[in-house]
Amino acid sequence: MSENTIGKKSLDWVDKRFPVIDLFERHLSKYYSPSNINIWYLFGFLLLIVLVMQILTGLWLMMNYTNTAEGAFSSIEYIMRDVDYGWLIRYMHAGGASAFFALIYLHMFRGMMYGSYQKPRELIWVGGWFVYVLLCAEGFTGYVLPWGQMSFWAAQVIISLVGSIPYFGEDLAIWIRGDYIVSGITLSRLFAFHVVLLPILIIAVVFFHILALHEIGSNNPDGIDVKKHTDQDGVPLDAKPFFPYDITHDFYALGVFLLIFCTVIFFFPEGGGYIIEYVNYEPANPLSTPAHIVPSWYYTPFYAMLRAIDFPLFGLTAKFLGFVVMAAGIAIFAALPWLDRSPVKSIKYKGIFSKIFLAGFVISFFVLAYLGSVPPTETKNMLAKVFTFLYFAYFLFMPLYTRFEKCKPVPERVGDIA
Amino acid sequence: MKTLFYLTIITSPFFIFSAGEYRCGSMECDYFEADVSDKASLQRGLSTYMNYCYGCHSLKYSRYKRVAEDLLIPLEMYENNLIFDGSKIGELMEISLTKEDAINWLGAYPPDLTLEARLRRPDWIYTYLRNYYPDSSRPYGVNNRVYQNVNMPHVLEDMQNNLSESQYDQVIYDLTNFMTYVADPSAEQRKRIGTYVLLFLIIFTAFAYMTYREFKKDLK
Repeated sequence: MSENTIGKKSLDWVDKRFPVIDLFERHLSKYYSPSNINIWYLFGFLLLIVLVMQILTGLWLMMNYTNTAEGAFSSIEYIMRDVDYGWLIRYMHAGGASAFFALIYLHMFRGMMYGSYQKPRELIWVGGWFVYVLLCAEGFTGYVLPWGQMSFWAAQVIISLVGSIPYFGEDLAIWIRGDYIVSGITLSRLFAFHVVLLPILIIAVVFFHILALHEIGSNNPDGIDVKKHTDQDGVPLDAKPFFPYDITHDFYALGVFLLIFCTVIFFFPEGGGYIIEYVNYEPANPLSTPAHIVPSWYYTPFYAMLRAIDFPLFGLTAKFLGFVVMAAGIAIFAALPWLDRSPVKSIKYKGIFSKIFLAGFVISFFVLAYLGSVPPTETKNMLAKVFTFLYFAYFLFMPLYTRFEKCKPVPERVGDIA
Repeated sequence: MKTLFYLTIITSPFFIFSAGEYRCGSMECDYFEADVSDKASLQRGLSTYMNYCYGCHSLKYSRYKRVAEDLLIPLEMYENNLIFDGSKIGELMEISLTKEDAINWLGAYPPDLTLEARLRRPDWIYTYLRNYYPDSSRPYGVNNRVYQNVNMPHVLEDMQNNLSESQYDQVIYDLTNFMTYVADPSAEQRKRIGTYVLLFLIIFTAFAYMTYREFKKDLK
């Protein structure tokens, strides 16, 4: 495109009116990422792809979905049977929800491992955390829409938690439901949240998240500031442009991700009952409670926390306290940048206590995920208490263990040995 | 902390296997593997369903025409033999039994069974239909080992008495196979398309990998 070709002319025409070249350079070809980033840095891109997929499949689902208590369940079966490739769109959307959570957990863990939330990336982290909170709400509202037994009872359980708030809880729960029990009124308002309010907020906060990231740049597994050493043009030495070096890596990762994702949606669309629960093939029935009410797998760690608190305290009910603990389990991520007092970012250079507590956090997350998915017993409740404590210990003791532990020296540049 | 970690790892299998009660009531589910590509089996299953089950149990999310086409039954033959109430072939497979009548006559409304194989799983249905036994304390004189104190009479009792055990098992196999199909009619198409999608993705990923590797060389 050296001469006055049509392509060059039109690009010039547009560029004088809208800064395409500047945007392309600032966010792609002259946006630098550290040269030492690894596979943990692929999930952000994949999350963006899944977000787009959820919006597109959601749009097509919405064309045939009926948001009434009478019509919701059969409209899903209408999509599955009578709409051309409706089954594919629906399995992509349901499988996409699980993929979204799997990827966001990996993405968050990367940040925790490499201290990506630390100064100066606090707002990137908090923005990302807010996306996660919105995603939890999006997942919950979406789960109710097929109006199966588990949809109905999950909504009943979750909204009743609000009812446990002292003094005004019951009134608040009725206000949220629009009814004394979960009903078609609740369904249609959750539908409105699911397809309008929450997606708009998610897109807006994701935009903020990426904008903030592109201002500061990615962290890396060593927690080195790669902008410190630059050549005479101000280009960081230990970095590479996002386009084409990272984008080609991201597309390779996309291929691998899609291979896994498509294997699931084409050959195991129910995911063994984890993506689409079997009980949800029975239409919602307010008169018959299922034997075990379990949330989707991605909420089970928090559900286990809710059930772990089975004792009243200071005049507050066990249910309310459980609700508070559960909410705190999600909220506490936002405080990470201010809990971590370590002089180093990455787990590679942090001391032994950081490693032990992070390992404890990961184990407790998995154990709680398991405990939240099975019917409670006395032993399991005891275990849930222990692991809820271990989960919170990672956060609450962090100001202590990160300040007093002995860290390893961080190399000055990528590839250096400190 | 480490002890707790190892303790969890070691004991976790016990939690998983101590699930307690069987999935098929008082017994383990019998082994069942559906084969929805076996059209002859599906046709036999459909015929059993329409003649023995459909009086009470609708398939209201499914359409006659879709079943006829998927099972390779000529539409005219289907209309003449398997539509009993003058419905059009494009209609949903609803039954004429009303809720009020059902409750007056049977004490309960027989559920729609379109999605039964997805709800309870095929092996449950297969085991359930083969485990009725005489029990004079029950209104219909029968009980079920999988579904204790079931309300449904043993509608296939005559058939079971007149057929050998293996013949009866075959009837139930075909019926369950049909119910597996009708619960998820797109399964065959899904797997066929899925194979092509995966083949495409293997090629896509290979090219994406080569592009990535080519660019990576610059950075050395």
